Amino acid sequence: MSQKHEGWGWMLAVDFFFAGMGGAMLVIAGIADLFVGEGRTSWLASFLGAAFMAMGSGLLIFELGRPFQSWRVFMNPKAILTVGAWVMSLAICAGLVYTTFSFAIFPWSDWLIVRKLIAIFMVVTGLIVATYPGVLLGRLKGRPLWVGPGMTSLFLTSSLVTAFAAHILSGMIVAPATIGDVLGRFPAITAVLLAVQLLLWVSYMWVKISGATEAEAVAARRLLCGEYAASFKYGLMLVGTVLPLVLVLVSSPLYQALGAVLVLVGGFILRMLVIYAGGADRTWLPGEPKYRSRLPHGDEAFMKAWNSK
Amino acid sequence: MARYAMVFDTRRCIGCHSCTVACRTKNELPIDMIYNPVTTVGPTGVYPKLSMVHMPLICMHCDNPPCVDACPTCASQRRDDGIVFVEDKKCVGCLACVMACPYGARVKNHESGAVQKCDFCKDRVDEGLLPFCVLTCHQKARVFGDLDDETSEVYKLVNGERTVRLLAELGTEPYAFYIYG
Repeated sequence: MSQKHEGWGWMLAVDFFFAGMGGAMLVIAGIADLFVGEGRTSWLASFLGAAFMAMGSGLLIFELGRPFQSWRVFMNPKAILTVGAWVMSLAICAGLVYTTFSFAIFPWSDWLIVRKLIAIFMVVTGLIVATYPGVLLGRLKGRPLWVGPGMTSLFLTSSLVTAFAAHILSGMIVAPATIGDVLGRFPAITAVLLAVQLLLWVSYMWVKISGATEAEAVAARRLLCGEYAASFKYGLMLVGTVLPLVLVLVSSPLYQALGAVLVLVGGFILRMLVIYAGGADRTWLPGEPKYRSRLPHGDEAFMKAWNSK
Repeated sequence: MARYAMVFDTRRCIGCHSCTVACRTKNELPIDMIYNPVTTVGPTGVYPKLSMVHMPLICMHCDNPPCVDACPTCASQRRDDGIVFVEDKKCVGCLACVMACPYGARVKNHESGAVQKCDFCKDRVDEGLLPFCVLTCHQKARVFGDLDDETSEVYKLVNGERTVRLLAELGTEPYAFYIYG
């Protein structure tokens, strides 16, 4: 039992953001390739999808207490973190290989069947990567803000909406070769997903406030009217959800780009809020809050004197 | 095979924190680490009927430990005798077990980068000795033993007294039992 309350930090939150967005970007690219005729999204999107996941994995390694032994996280197939690490590695490889099909210099660029198979693999692995952080958090029984299946829906929705936003931006930078009208519908799909995200958060908070335990209600109040309220209401809900919902529906590329950027900001805020607000709360044992409130934080004179020995 | 458990008799605990100090000494813990704090609940009630309870907290050595399931490196393990422990060389300090444990029983050692916890002093138990906190408790508020041994004090207390398990509703099957007054 630590004197301080130990928990995950910002690097894991950023990893969840990058992994979710990157995984869902591959899902969208794969689905477009498989089900939209000759549809192909911008190669930049599939490349960035893989790159985002790789960046997230890198941050996750730095978050470890012993980063040089990070290979050990692949060792327990029963642990959801191990499953996530394996699937993310495979998705990164699939995304990078898929990107090569957009360049004629690679001899396999016209191997249609292989490309379609990789697209299927990308959809499956990308979907798992986009979903597993929510499952990971939802299984933690002692964490009242996270516990339950709701977190999975929130993470999956956020992953998809940020991925669509990233696809919109990627398509503006490097135009897709063959996707045609479909890319034009991405802003509308993004708006629908933002509306779903808004609805999910309202219902999630409602369920938690009136939920199974007092600890869940306390955890939800921390977001609604506690120390994280401003970030939640104005950051996630207003700037990250409602405002981009309006902007992406305006038929101007400039507004749509701005809306897409705000969606990414909202996705980032969501991960930070969920990790910090959820990590700060546990279902406390009798007398534990009072006990912890009396423990030193490390900046007291006697602690400094002790640590400087 | 034994199934080790610990019983805390809160009627006997006076909140002296001897067990906390003994544990830190035996395990040579840094100053910012505690395996077994003793919390205080109360005083509650209205004078003159006041009460106060001291709660020694440790790793509950659950039968269904979520920390072991969460560990991606197999560093967190559960022995056949029920003792849950961390194999230090396998731990990468990902904190998955810290977040999974509903009892806050795990702590990161900032010097080594690994996660550590109470292991019922398994080195002493394997030699037939008592955990150091049990040995130190002068009020005999801590009782350790084999729950499968019908002659053990632990067995008699768990089956004879009204014991409770903390956060039992989570289904982790903790093997630390509490006797309230």
